[in-house]
Amino acid sequence: MKRMLTACLLCLAAVQMPLTAAAQEHYDVYNYDRWSEAVPSQAGYTAVRSVSGEMLGAGDFSQPSDLFLDAEDRLYIADTGNDRIVVTDAALTEVMRIYDTFVMPDGSETAISQPKGIYVAPETELLYIADYGNARVLVSDLDGQVQLVLTRPEDALYEKESSFLPQRVLADKGGNVYVVTSSTSGAAMFGADGTFQGFFGANAVESTPAVIAGHIRDLLSTQEMRSRRARTVPTAITSFDLDADGFIYTCTQSTSQDADIVKKLNPAGNNLFSGMYGWGDLQPVYDAGTNTTYEPMLCDIEISEDENINCLDRTTNRVFQYDKEGDLLFILGSTSDQLGGFTEATSLETCGNTILVLDGRKNTVTVMEETNFGTLVHKATALFNDGYYEEALEPWYEVLRYDGSYRQAFLGISAGLLVQGDYEGSMKYAKLADSSYRYDRAFECWRQEWLTEHSRALALGALLLIAGGILLHRYWKKHRKGGMNR
Amino acid sequence: MMELTSGQWVRHVVLHPFEGFEDVRWKKAGSVRIACGILALWFLGAVLYSRMYGFQFRATSDKLFNVIPYLVQTVILFLTWTVGNWAVCTLLDGEGTMRNIFVYSAYALVPYVTSLYAETLLSHILIRDEAIFLTIIHDVGLWWSVLLVISAVKTVHQYSVMRTLFAILLTIAAMLAMLFLMVLVLSLFQQVYVFVYSIYTEVVYRFRV
Repeated sequence: MKRMLTACLLCLAAVQMPLTAAAQEHYDVYNYDRWSEAVPSQAGYTAVRSVSGEMLGAGDFSQPSDLFLDAEDRLYIADTGNDRIVVTDAALTEVMRIYDTFVMPDGSETAISQPKGIYVAPETELLYIADYGNARVLVSDLDGQVQLVLTRPEDALYEKESSFLPQRVLADKGGNVYVVTSSTSGAAMFGADGTFQGFFGANAVESTPAVIAGHIRDLLSTQEMRSRRARTVPTAITSFDLDADGFIYTCTQSTSQDADIVKKLNPAGNNLFSGMYGWGDLQPVYDAGTNTTYEPMLCDIEISEDENINCLDRTTNRVFQYDKEGDLLFILGSTSDQLGGFTEATSLETCGNTILVLDGRKNTVTVMEETNFGTLVHKATALFNDGYYEEALEPWYEVLRYDGSYRQAFLGISAGLLVQGDYEGSMKYAKLADSSYRYDRAFECWRQEWLTEHSRALALGALLLIAGGILLHRYWKKHRKGGMNR
Repeated sequence: MMELTSGQWVRHVVLHPFEGFEDVRWKKAGSVRIACGILALWFLGAVLYSRMYGFQFRATSDKLFNVIPYLVQTVILFLTWTVGNWAVCTLLDGEGTMRNIFVYSAYALVPYVTSLYAETLLSHILIRDEAIFLTIIHDVGLWWSVLLVISAVKTVHQYSVMRTLFAILLTIAAMLAMLFLMVLVLSLFQQVYVFVYSIYTEVVYRFRV
């Protein structure tokens, strides 16, 4: 029976993807090619274990919703359903501390309720807790002494927002606190002293045909008619993260908009990733079983130490890893009960070369470790993005030995060979990558070289051609006299 | 006077946009065979233009190739033009026969077809910074042909310029109507086919049971 089942599964896998590359993963590992079509690929990460609260000795988690790894390698788990924050070591072997009550500045104790987000500032070692159930953000030191409480701002700017329900929180180097609520105005920004400063990083309203039509209708309608019309508002940002240089990355969980899904914001709030589309799955996945089409919904974003951008898609429970330029590196995970699959992925965090994914229904943290292939790609990408094209050549060739259709490798090799002066090779790899831009760069150099090499022959050829033309013309004139007389 | 071979007539027409067609008409020149050749070259050129263009300008996906769209965009489009123009201009007191409309219009396409080949060829030699040359070739070829088409219609029907432009607009409308009807007929036949096929399945099923 078991053998039959295995055979059936194998057949199914063979039908779905005849070239399944990774053997040890229980799902089809894929990547996207130049034409945005899914192609089989190698796994960059593989799940090694998943850890529950019970295994840690802290009792099962309940709907945990956020993970955070601080500078001292302590892992904070916002255990939302149990109204507590569990702190473990980075290897997830033992519980170091459990926060459920804090001491207020006036000496009284206060319990947290449904904490949804946690952040620890590396400079000040202050905990920032999005205390969702109590509609406040607690700023406390590691001993649980609350330093600051942020509640709904009594500010004219905040008037139109009805509630203050913090979901994610982070603080920048200057101590400014950013709080993601469900507000469409962006993250609420507080100064280090707790004063409300305004909003940060709101999404733009996308110019869909409906929105444009609305604008035209506004021009033609009266004030009264306009006030009755539904306002066009952008979708609220869902989560954010800070990178080493102080840029804030936001992600937006939305099926209705394509723009601004992932943004990289500078301190002024400008989006450096504007105009970048195609985060998450490029084609909506259709499931015949439930007759629904799944659009990607990115619910968490994490910038790892090597500046890769990791996004978590809660629709398909997949992690999409991009390099710092936004080029797709790996897609990992699936919706399943097996190890490496998730049922309701809520948050992700990176720790060195592992990715930790929190599952809000399985109540576990899954540890995904980098494979050899992943290490290679990361090494090559890092070298490539820093401009060491030649040094990246060797790792890129190695990457191709693992996965012969990895497009970034073709691009990388094309760039590396161009630097080395092997223009023909560069053209060949540009063609394999289907990149006309890279081909153009290589072809320009190749043509230059070819013209220089053959300049003498070319000049001679041109001379002969002109001379031959003149002679031929004379010959014709002589022999076709009277042929065409007007 | 004007004893030209068929090939020379093509050259004469292309290089004399304003009176070339009048000469052809007067000498009753113009060959259907050459017109068909131009049409075939156009079709081939369109395929080459979209498939064999220089890689530094355009990466073409080789996964899927279908020749039908190219056929529709060139040969069928041209035949529709011919029939549409004939239908419209017969009502507008035009003097052109179907044969002449076909031949003159095909002759008028020569610059455009040439530009297709020239552009495709040059795109393998030039780089992106020099793309302006390709644009020039394309635009010159296209507008030269447009001019020749106007001249051809004017001559073949012996119209004034304004009447020619009016006739061309009407022809385009007629072409749209024809294409619309063609699509309609196609879908109708498809439904008839489905109907017949389902009856067939039904009958076969009855016999088997």
